[in-house]
Amino acid sequence: MLALLGSAGMLVALIGAVLLVTRGIAAARRDAGVNLEGAARLLLAGAVATMAALVLALITDDFSLVYTANHHSTATPFPFDVATAWAALEGSIVLWGLILAGYTWFVFRRYRRAPDRLGAAALAVMGGVALFFFGLMITVANPFETCVQAAQVGCAVSSPWPLIAVDAPANGPGPNPLLQNHFMMAVHPPVLYLGYVGMTVPFAYAIGALALGVPGPEWLRRSHRSTLIAWSFLTLGILLGGWWAYEVLSWGGYWAWDPVENASLMPWLVATAFLHSGIVQQRRGMLQAWNFILVISAFALTILGTFLTRSGTINSVHSFTQSAIGPALLGFLVLVLVGSFALFSTRADLAASSPRMESLVSREGTFLANNLLLSVFAVVVLVGTTYPLILEAFTGTQVGVGEPFFNRITVPLSYLLLLVMGFGPITPWGRADGDLLWRRTRAPALVAMAGGLLTALLVTRIGWVVLSVTLALFVIGTMTGLLFEQARRRSVKTGDALSASLRQVVTGDGAFWSGQLSHCGVALIAIGMAFAANLGTHLEVGMSPGESTVFQGHTITYESPFQQSSTAVTVIGARLTVTDGTRLVAVMEPSFNLFGDQQSAVGTPDVLHTARGDIYVTLRDFPDETMAIRITLDTSPMIWILWLGGLVTVTGGLLAVRARRRERRVAVDRPTVDV
Amino acid sequence: MNRGLRWVGYGVALAGVVFAVVLASRFGVDPGLVDSPLLGKPAPEFTLAPLEGGDTVSLSDLQGEIVVVNFFASWCLQCRNEHQAITSTADAFADQGVTFVQISYQESPPVSLEYLKGAGRSDAALYLADPGSRTAIAYGVFGIPETFFVDEEGTVVGKIIGESDAMTLGATIDAIKRGETPGQSVTGDTQQRPDA
Amino acid sequence: MSDRLRTTLSIGLLVVMAAAMLTLILTNPSDPDRVQAIGERIKCPVCQGESIANSPSAMAQDMMALVAERVDQGVSDDEIVAELLASYSGAVLLDPPVGGATLALWLVPVVAVILGVAVIWWWRRHPSPEPASEDGDAATSGGRLAPLLILGATLAVAVVVAGFFIQEREGPNEGVANLGAQDLDDVSNETMEAVIAANADNPQVDGMRLALAERYYEEGDFRSAFPHYLEVAGSENATDTQVATSLIRLGWMAWEGNAEAETATGLFDQALEIDPGSDTARYLKAQVLWCGSDAPEQAASLLEEVLADPDLSADSRTQVESDLAAIESGETCT
Repeated sequence: MLALLGSAGMLVALIGAVLLVTRGIAAARRDAGVNLEGAARLLLAGAVATMAALVLALITDDFSLVYTANHHSTATPFPFDVATAWAALEGSIVLWGLILAGYTWFVFRRYRRAPDRLGAAALAVMGGVALFFFGLMITVANPFETCVQAAQVGCAVSSPWPLIAVDAPANGPGPNPLLQNHFMMAVHPPVLYLGYVGMTVPFAYAIGALALGVPGPEWLRRSHRSTLIAWSFLTLGILLGGWWAYEVLSWGGYWAWDPVENASLMPWLVATAFLHSGIVQQRRGMLQAWNFILVISAFALTILGTFLTRSGTINSVHSFTQSAIGPALLGFLVLVLVGSFALFSTRADLAASSPRMESLVSREGTFLANNLLLSVFAVVVLVGTTYPLILEAFTGTQVGVGEPFFNRITVPLSYLLLLVMGFGPITPWGRADGDLLWRRTRAPALVAMAGGLLTALLVTRIGWVVLSVTLALFVIGTMTGLLFEQARRRSVKTGDALSASLRQVVTGDGAFWSGQLSHCGVALIAIGMAFAANLGTHLEVGMSPGESTVFQGHTITYESPFQQSSTAVTVIGARLTVTDGTRLVAVMEPSFNLFGDQQSAVGTPDVLHTARGDIYVTLRDFPDETMAIRITLDTSPMIWILWLGGLVTVTGGLLAVRARRRERRVAVDRPTVDV
Repeated sequence: MNRGLRWVGYGVALAGVVFAVVLASRFGVDPGLVDSPLLGKPAPEFTLAPLEGGDTVSLSDLQGEIVVVNFFASWCLQCRNEHQAITSTADAFADQGVTFVQISYQESPPVSLEYLKGAGRSDAALYLADPGSRTAIAYGVFGIPETFFVDEEGTVVGKIIGESDAMTLGATIDAIKRGETPGQSVTGDTQQRPDA
Repeated sequence: MSDRLRTTLSIGLLVVMAAAMLTLILTNPSDPDRVQAIGERIKCPVCQGESIANSPSAMAQDMMALVAERVDQGVSDDEIVAELLASYSGAVLLDPPVGGATLALWLVPVVAVILGVAVIWWWRRHPSPEPASEDGDAATSGGRLAPLLILGATLAVAVVVAGFFIQEREGPNEGVANLGAQDLDDVSNETMEAVIAANADNPQVDGMRLALAERYYEEGDFRSAFPHYLEVAGSENATDTQVATSLIRLGWMAWEGNAEAETATGLFDQALEIDPGSDTARYLKAQVLWCGSDAPEQAASLLEEVLADPDLSADSRTQVESDLAAIESGETCT
């Protein structure tokens, strides 16, 4: 029954996508007049029905579906049963399709409000992308295959026909234990996908503008705003992924330059570059061709990332088994690259933009530097991730590329980016006056240098930490200085109080100041990363019940091993008390979690969060016959600054979306920040 | 300017296609599979005590024989599956100048011994403990089961990754006896310690 | 305070603070943790992309212990890394060397920066002409789009097809594993023994068991052949032909090896019960009757039965006829 609903949903969505392409092209050619509502509705309804059928099958334990039979078990608790809907390959494509249909609906709503050829062309492109993903679902990644011969656990033989006689197994093996160890796995993929799939919208507008031959500010405005939305979600998704890795994967880190992480970082870097260079085009009419390239690249990188993580060509924790989906995604990537860039080439005369840049010492100049650095960063990540693959394909030599390589290249790049970030907002457009720049940097530079010196004197003399603090303070300082400078000028002009002027300045150019908030977030991230990476301490210790060890001013006592069993999970761990002299600070329970019938145990750390940073306890081994354990104790100093910075960055992105919407509605003549 | 842009566009598209072709050539290749650098090289020497203790055994003691080095553990499903094949092959080749050495991997000797009690053992094979995984590291073990074949001169000439069966084991030894070098082959998945 | 003075003071202060900061950083009594540093360069072989320094897995810890021991022994960093790479290959080195096959990797950022700067420089020199008017002719340009899309689609389909093809190409079993499917002729007796022992409970093993027994039998190694024939003869899963063949062989070995004529004829009779058409059983039984039981009449009648089989091969017919003639002429067996 649910197989029928799901299959019908996929088919309806596919028809909607086809109609959207054909009618969208017609509408774009004939300048509106063609109704796209039906097609958009079909796509959305089909996608919702598809996901609904899958989720229903999971929460009603309908094992007649192969997907349920192989990735679910009756013991899987909420919310992991729902999250299983996107935990495996086929389901993740369904989630992709649903989010894509959702974005398409938003693009359509804008089109319905004010129909134009650009909107119609963009809808046709979105329909084309949806056509691919729903086609993928129906052919090689069908989540609604029915089970015609049950295995002991899971399904042995399947059929793509929803109405065939089924032989449903009584139970399934349940999802991958790693994925059901933390509620974050229910949240992280949808958020990340909101970011990934969101990159389709700016791509659609860019391709629409190129195909129609209408360059200029309109495609850019829409692409820029939709990139802002996608970028915010992508940032949040990456942040949640890092937080999940830190809290669950028991190695104390949040980023390992794993190919899957790199796959999400590459579009983020390119989208970040576009968020900046897009402003240059909006304000100065420059860099249009470059913006086309960035938008197309960001989208292509999301497809490449999906290919790398889903095809099994790169070894990774998130990789699914090999399937025909790999060649299909690769073929789509080729189509996107060849189609888009060949289109770009034939429209080169339109894509180019005319105004000349006056001087490199200008806001445009800092944006250029920012784009250069971000692009080099993205290229390094791309090449570093795929180099072992390429080299082996050509020479058969096997090499590894990992954290040391990436850190050595990207850490200096990041410091350069911070430096540019400190200068960017205070540098005027056109041609910057040296005196003005000096006036605006003098105080922040002094404050930053003093802060760095104090850090070196009081906290640590490790260069990276001192440099991070100095540059982060410089970024925050120049921006704060600019805010007060404008507020003071306004208050002098209007006679308002400084506080009122501050508010007026910020709300007057919401998009700009939202961006500055994101910059603040990035500065905080830099501080948090530097502290956690350089000032952590590590201790490995064996303990018998009743024994204590002193770690970072805390007394940690091993009380006893413990075991808890539920239908879904058996937890075997050690109970530790943490005291501060005499006062009990916390009880910590690092453990191993064994899920259902799964073979492997998932090590789960326990983390004590304090204002000075985290104490991170991992169990190395099951308690032995004498109940003795080995644990590792780590500190992550000030790591909360990193998470806070991430949230601030995302908040800045979302506020910018709101500010841009308000700008569009009110169309106020905003004050410019330059002088 | 425009001509430049045009070539940029075509160039990127072409680079993308080349890149995709390279990626496509990697289909069907297990990305985690590493060619053992030990093949064709002298087998790393080891001196290990039997699981139940007692006099140590060295690889050099076995020089002149074909030595089959297998890493196993009770927690490894594939090892359980292949155990009988290893035992029977060790028995069958016992007086053919072939010695089987089974080395316990990431497991305490009493646990391995208990497992062998149930799974059975060959009188002709050696069951050794590997404290600190030194021998496993020297042989570059990624996951078990992994089985190495050392010829009469002490050179590693073959490696089976994954579960092996009596036919594969016997045929590999036959090939070595004929003077061939069977090389590396993959028969299936390997396993890591569950709590790792 | 004049602006000029303020500037001078600020610059002075900045320089002093920067110098102090640099001095503090550069004189940091750093105590580099060599074990940790080496560990961060080596990928944990049982994990997914983590270094052995970061991985909680037992194998990574053992490798770290080895690294620590080597550091204590005074071995250099490069030698320790080389030792691990000798067994695990360069694929576990997370820190690719600047040179050799990975030199290109390290050049990527340099080339990218140079290229980027060159593009910016070129772009500043070559401003584009005024863009064409915005109401460009979409209709005509739409025509030029078609070939592009067709080109893209063709390439995409090619990649998909090639991908499928390549994926099919390589199965999981390669190399020696394929020997399992090879002709039994290439397989040594020991291997067959091992296979049979390992699959003693497998109903399909009787065929290989019989093949091995036949091989021993032909080599004249009755002692080795005997238990296998016995197993097949008693096997519930063996086919009638397999059981009959085993019984015949057992009978002949009883006669040839131990000169037990009665045991032999009994076994031949059992074989004939299962496979009444077996000429071999009749012929061999006749031989035993003639030579061992001194019953040439019974032997002769059996040989006549054999000759009555129209499918008997010409060679066999000649042999049987000559034996029959010998019996009828009253010769003793040879």
